[in-house]
Amino acid sequence: MEEQDFIEDLKAGKQYAYGKLIDDYQQKVFATCISFVPNKEDAEDLAQEVFVEVYHSINKFKGNSKLSTWIYKIATNKCLGFIRKKNTKKRFAFLQSIMGNDIPVDKTKYFTEINHPGILLENKEKSEILFKAINQLPETQRVVFTLSKVEGLGNQEICEITGKSLSSVESLMFRAKKNLQNILQNFYKNES
Amino acid sequence: MSVFVSKNNIKKNMGKNKNIQDKVNSTLNVLDALQTPQVSPFFKDKTMQRMFQNKEEEQEVWSWFTPKIQLATLVCVVVLNIVAFAKMKSSSYDENINDFAETYGLTISTENTFLN
Repeated sequence: MEEQDFIEDLKAGKQYAYGKLIDDYQQKVFATCISFVPNKEDAEDLAQEVFVEVYHSINKFKGNSKLSTWIYKIATNKCLGFIRKKNTKKRFAFLQSIMGNDIPVDKTKYFTEINHPGILLENKEKSEILFKAINQLPETQRVVFTLSKVEGLGNQEICEITGKSLSSVESLMFRAKKNLQNILQNFYKNES
Repeated sequence: MSVFVSKNNIKKNMGKNKNIQDKVNSTLNVLDALQTPQVSPFFKDKTMQRMFQNKEEEQEVWSWFTPKIQLATLVCVVVLNIVAFAKMKSSSYDENINDFAETYGLTISTENTFLN
């Protein structure tokens, strides 16, 4: 089936079209979500939200980009929204701890206690350090680095998802790598 | 002697830095060993349910408001507006107010006031 016909079926709200959409994209969307949010349950919830959003906003899809790129864009935005919310909670928790109120500890440790099923047990400690470091990067650098290194997308696709030029994606990637090196070096220096 | 000590220190520091760099590299290499996790087997069912559940609820709420009824409602509203507008134009506002005031005894008579 041509993509255009498929999109028309999606716009018409046909149930079989959404079934096919989920079959085709569930793995990719889930992989994107879990690369930003290293927790299986939350990543699955986010992936579900992505499909619900696709369902509600398919009429806004003008076909200027590929359907997959549009879906990746939604997934990335959902994940960033989730991370922002988590970080706000973390800051709020920190403020509460200053004020002397008790807060649930697990909320402050979200990005240090990861539950990524694809991480080998022997790499768990290093992965936790790495994901914590990635989370310290500025948002644009984090997005580009995650899509490229964790998700394995090409620069061209990252350009389409982020809406940035190829040169700025390359520059963001370079700075992200450099910053990660610095963060990790500082971490290991303080550790030893 | 001091030259020997500082050389030793430099060697020690270089070894330490190399060790840190090795640790950084091995941490970054974790990404290469990252396996793509599989989505849970019930993901599709759960997502489909979530998508179409909302739609059914929406449909149930507004299902009685069919396009025919929508059109009829629109025509009624337009006709009512036209009638009301025509009525307003035909009668003068002051006249109506005076009638209303007289009917309910709300007129102020200046003849009976004690202040004059």
